[in-house]
Amino acid sequence: MAKVIFGSWDGKVIDNRNRQIFEIEERPEFSDFDEFNAGNPIKAFFGGHGFFIFEKNVNLLDALLQYMERIVKESCGKCTPCRVGTQIIKRKLRALVDRKGGPEDLDEIEAIAEHVKDTSLCGLGQTATVALLEMLGSFREALVAELATPAPLGQHCETYVSAPCIEACPSKVDVPKYIDYIKDGKFTHSLGVILQKYPMAATCGRVCVRFCEMACRRTQVDEAVGIKVLKRFVADHEQGVINEWFSAYKPAEPKDKNLKIAVVGTGPAGIAAAYHLLLKGYNVDIFESKPVPGGMAATGIPEYRLPKAVLGKEIAIIETLGGRILYNQKLGRDLTLNNLVERGYNAVFLGIGAHKGKMMRVAEENPEIEGYDFGVDFLLRINHDYIDRGMPMELGEKMVVVGGGNVAMDCARSALRMNVKEVHLVYRRSQKEMPADHEEIEAAMEEGVIFHFLTNPTRILVADGKVRGVELNKMALGEPDQGGRCSVTPIADSEFVLGADHVIPAIGQQVELGFVNPEEGVELESWGTIKVNVSSLMTTRNGVFAGGDCVTGPATLVQAMAQGEKAAQSIDDYLTLGRVRFQPRERMSQLVADVQPMISTGISIPVKHEYRVKIKELDPMIRKKLFEEVEKPISVDEAYAEAQRCMRCYRVYSVITEQ
Amino acid sequence: MIATINGKDIDFCDNQTVLDVAKANGHFIPTLCEMADLDHAPGTCRVCLVDIQRKGDSEHHIVTSCTTPMEEGMAVLTRTPKVRKMQRLQVELLLADHNQDCASCVRHGNCELQDVAQFVGLQQTRYTYPEFYQRRSRDDSSPAIFRDMSKCIRCFRCVKVCRDIQGIDALVITEKGLETEISVRDNLPLNQSGCVSCGQCILVCPVGALAGKNNTEEALDMLYDPGLVTVVQFAPAVRTAIGEEFNMAKGENVEGKVITALKQLGADVVLDTNFAADLVIMEEGAELLDRIQKKGTLPMFTSCCPGWVTFVEKNYPGMIPHLSTTRSPQQCLGSMAKTYLAEKMDLNPDKIRVISIMPCTAKKEEAKRPEFENQGRRDVDVVLSTRGFARIMKREGIDLAGLDDSTFDNPWMADYSGAAVIFGNTGGVMEAAVRTVHKVVTGNELETVAYTDLRGEAFRREATVDLGPDIGPVKLAVVHTLKEARRLMEEIKAGESPYGFVEVMACPGGCAGGGGQPRSKHSYQGTSRERKQGMYTIDQNRSVRQSHNNPMIAKIYGDFLGKPLGEKSHHLLHTTYRDRKQTVSHTMDEIWREIEDRS
Repeated sequence: MAKVIFGSWDGKVIDNRNRQIFEIEERPEFSDFDEFNAGNPIKAFFGGHGFFIFEKNVNLLDALLQYMERIVKESCGKCTPCRVGTQIIKRKLRALVDRKGGPEDLDEIEAIAEHVKDTSLCGLGQTATVALLEMLGSFREALVAELATPAPLGQHCETYVSAPCIEACPSKVDVPKYIDYIKDGKFTHSLGVILQKYPMAATCGRVCVRFCEMACRRTQVDEAVGIKVLKRFVADHEQGVINEWFSAYKPAEPKDKNLKIAVVGTGPAGIAAAYHLLLKGYNVDIFESKPVPGGMAATGIPEYRLPKAVLGKEIAIIETLGGRILYNQKLGRDLTLNNLVERGYNAVFLGIGAHKGKMMRVAEENPEIEGYDFGVDFLLRINHDYIDRGMPMELGEKMVVVGGGNVAMDCARSALRMNVKEVHLVYRRSQKEMPADHEEIEAAMEEGVIFHFLTNPTRILVADGKVRGVELNKMALGEPDQGGRCSVTPIADSEFVLGADHVIPAIGQQVELGFVNPEEGVELESWGTIKVNVSSLMTTRNGVFAGGDCVTGPATLVQAMAQGEKAAQSIDDYLTLGRVRFQPRERMSQLVADVQPMISTGISIPVKHEYRVKIKELDPMIRKKLFEEVEKPISVDEAYAEAQRCMRCYRVYSVITEQ
Repeated sequence: MIATINGKDIDFCDNQTVLDVAKANGHFIPTLCEMADLDHAPGTCRVCLVDIQRKGDSEHHIVTSCTTPMEEGMAVLTRTPKVRKMQRLQVELLLADHNQDCASCVRHGNCELQDVAQFVGLQQTRYTYPEFYQRRSRDDSSPAIFRDMSKCIRCFRCVKVCRDIQGIDALVITEKGLETEISVRDNLPLNQSGCVSCGQCILVCPVGALAGKNNTEEALDMLYDPGLVTVVQFAPAVRTAIGEEFNMAKGENVEGKVITALKQLGADVVLDTNFAADLVIMEEGAELLDRIQKKGTLPMFTSCCPGWVTFVEKNYPGMIPHLSTTRSPQQCLGSMAKTYLAEKMDLNPDKIRVISIMPCTAKKEEAKRPEFENQGRRDVDVVLSTRGFARIMKREGIDLAGLDDSTFDNPWMADYSGAAVIFGNTGGVMEAAVRTVHKVVTGNELETVAYTDLRGEAFRREATVDLGPDIGPVKLAVVHTLKEARRLMEEIKAGESPYGFVEVMACPGGCAGGGGQPRSKHSYQGTSRERKQGMYTIDQNRSVRQSHNNPMIAKIYGDFLGKPLGEKSHHLLHTTYRDRKQTVSHTMDEIWREIEDRS
């Protein structure tokens, strides 16, 4: 386990320089700091709150210089101290590394560093000189001593810049950067930043669950920055031209023309994988089981949250890039893995999703009874049969939806739009525990969905093969378990009956396993998802990769897109190198996560409250009759104002490694 | 709520910043990027540092007062040794990447950065790194505005004005770190961009990064060339503003002194743009009636403001038919000087040079339009802004305040009505037009001359004038700022506009607040109200207050032009417009390359 010889973090100084290395106690926080990658020890770590030195022979001034060089590169150049001060510090550190200065220069460096820390506008500047100052404050004599030694040769330094919102995003979208570009007036470039990660920007800007906003440090001041709505803004702003941008796209280095890749599924995972493979220059064919593209994004998200046209335009980017989408091609029905290999595909990506509804396991439950539909199937029918093809649907007067996630909300709100008079939503825990977005829950309530919390179905009432109602039980919340989730237990004799013509279980989905053939070599986990190597996303069959819901179980759009991108990278490595490469950025991200619990300082100075842009919505009484998009776009002025709220919590991290 | 500043109790309201409260209570804090008139506090210069201690917090913090909200029980110190030292270091850092070629700087003596350096007691510049600013762009492509980013201190006031006041949004921010600069959208040279040359950005620039195109040298060459006849005109809004450059009272009418100064500078003929304004009313009024009677394109837009005309050409070319074809007063005067006046004074038009003094930067561009050339001669040869003319006077050792008054002495093109002088105010062109059109249609003068319904500050004002039984009521609108103009254009496009005649001036307040006018430190349009009132006062005191009653106007039609909209007018006083809309298309490779280059 890595041992800290000396260091300082948020003012907490560790100094073991006078002890033998074997005497230094092991600290669990540093259990991950032994090696950067196999055989490559971490010698020092620097961040926005301090630094740790793990080996004696680190060139401290050089390490500080390399850190400052990255800061200078990342400075946005808007505020004076960060723009100019860090440059002057960098020059003075450079001189010291070259041994063209003496200890007295450390005083001037310290004065400017203090100034940069105390007076910079954003998080980058405020943390740019913290490590330097901690070292000057507690270990100045080590720097002075180093100045008496000959100028060092270089040492290997890996730098990484990130922010809480970026780290929270499965796709690691550079959120502050795309917000910066909005501030700068360059909406094209803002969208360009998002498109570096995935093509479905307008889609993600509408339906993302926003891990980024949950991590946003602006919540310490007032409310999270409207990261999602800004993404939608830039994507909508450029929607007329975005496809054109790709029409003349040329990959940086052309690939072997004979290489071709099959992507199975046009959901977020498949589309993201295909997109990145096409950008890298591969021939990609995408197989879709349905007659329409989009996977769960198309079939599982209602029109009023994500208009089909918006999704369609973004999927069209795949075709602009030369990808071929083949419809009505279902794995296990119309094609098999062996079959794809025989057809000459050198690699396969499986992004087949988790489309099969889960049963509630209650008495009389049978998917064959009339008036029983799984949530995802119900949404699919509305999207596909009713909206796309105009086929009428008979849903009766009263409906019970069971579940507390976004799919349940989507079903309930869609049912209202289908003229179901009374829509009941049944959830076994309380509102606080609901996994659905709180905005979705509130919107459903405003539209008149009747919520029954702490209620669980026990039986479906059936007559003549039709649903007639649901028998329910009241539940009690118990103590929270280790994960903080409360157990629920039924309350005795609390049964009651809700009459209903329709019941919709929306309690989760699983992977449809019809395609699995033991002879083809793709193995499953015991819980029914596809087994993969987590770092490469390769399945148990060589050359076959998988990602998205079929690997993670039902998750989110952005998680699926992240896996699609990652798989594309692995497929590229697999096809060009024969192995999957080490990703230093992923490793840095891990180290950054490791040090987060050590951060004790928050925002200590008052910041002017600027509340988040209010998104205009259709009136609940009108919108509940329509499938028209509920949330209205924000104006250019509102986008500029919202972008200004970003505090740019960038931090620079670096490691000094052996190689 | 109560807090303390420098130990004194002060009362404040929710949502006020430390800077707001300090200002309101007479505690001076040096600022640079902030501009209260624009509600602009980007917090980028970091000069307005103060020491704060929050209630219940034992620690002191150094914060920028412009971005920090005042809190109940907070103790603020503005002048501690630490604060002063940090403010000084901040200014040293600001100067480290600022091109300190101060002696030649257009903002010399009127520079907010110099002020701040003085305030913090800077005695020398410790950090000088020319490489920090040498690569920054200098753009002199525009005939109206010069941009020198080596002097920019990144206050972003120009961006704010261009976005929030004008809605043009021509400026973007490019690069990172030291390379960060304000740039023109899509990396275009300014003259090919969406910029309409209104010059509002210059009014707010605290340093010499933005300036009007300097044409003083050309003007002096002409004035000092004995072989040339120089004809100088100056616009209505110049006379109530230029006094500010010589510490005279705000809004004071210095028309007589300007005439004296021009004579001293060697101008051969001094004319008043006001004369041409009266001419414009005759033509534009006739054009409006013609459009109404012949069911032509309505609403008709005024065309006096070149920033507005460029705005239409670049943004709404489909609506060009709405623009009055009448040239602006500047161009009408130039055109008449080289034809009518040359004839009257028996001058060779090739030897005449028309110099304009305008409150405007867009007029510099207007004078260069290809449309405004007659037999190889430019109608207007050189345009000086109000600031540029003040600079010439200072170069020539003229103190305007100390001069005696003179009067116009040209018998053909100098007299003007009160209607003409209010052209310099938002609503003025419309008011002048109403005075004349009413008389032409109904045969009667308006009962009260001042048509005050159209006056005021609102970005859009409306009135209805009754033009008698044949025409009926016509709905009028007056708009200033291009942001409001864009709103109006969208309404017209959507078929939601009830107007028959619309006046648009690009700058807030009209020419009184023009981009070529004197600028004030830390204040945006701070003297606009006095300048406007100055013009209304001149109008009120004129004996002739309607364009059609100006005797020299009667004479020019009698002796030379014939009648409004006649053959000669068509050639000499009307113009055409061009579709100048451009769309820049992008490719993914190019966008990504730029993103990568920046990261």
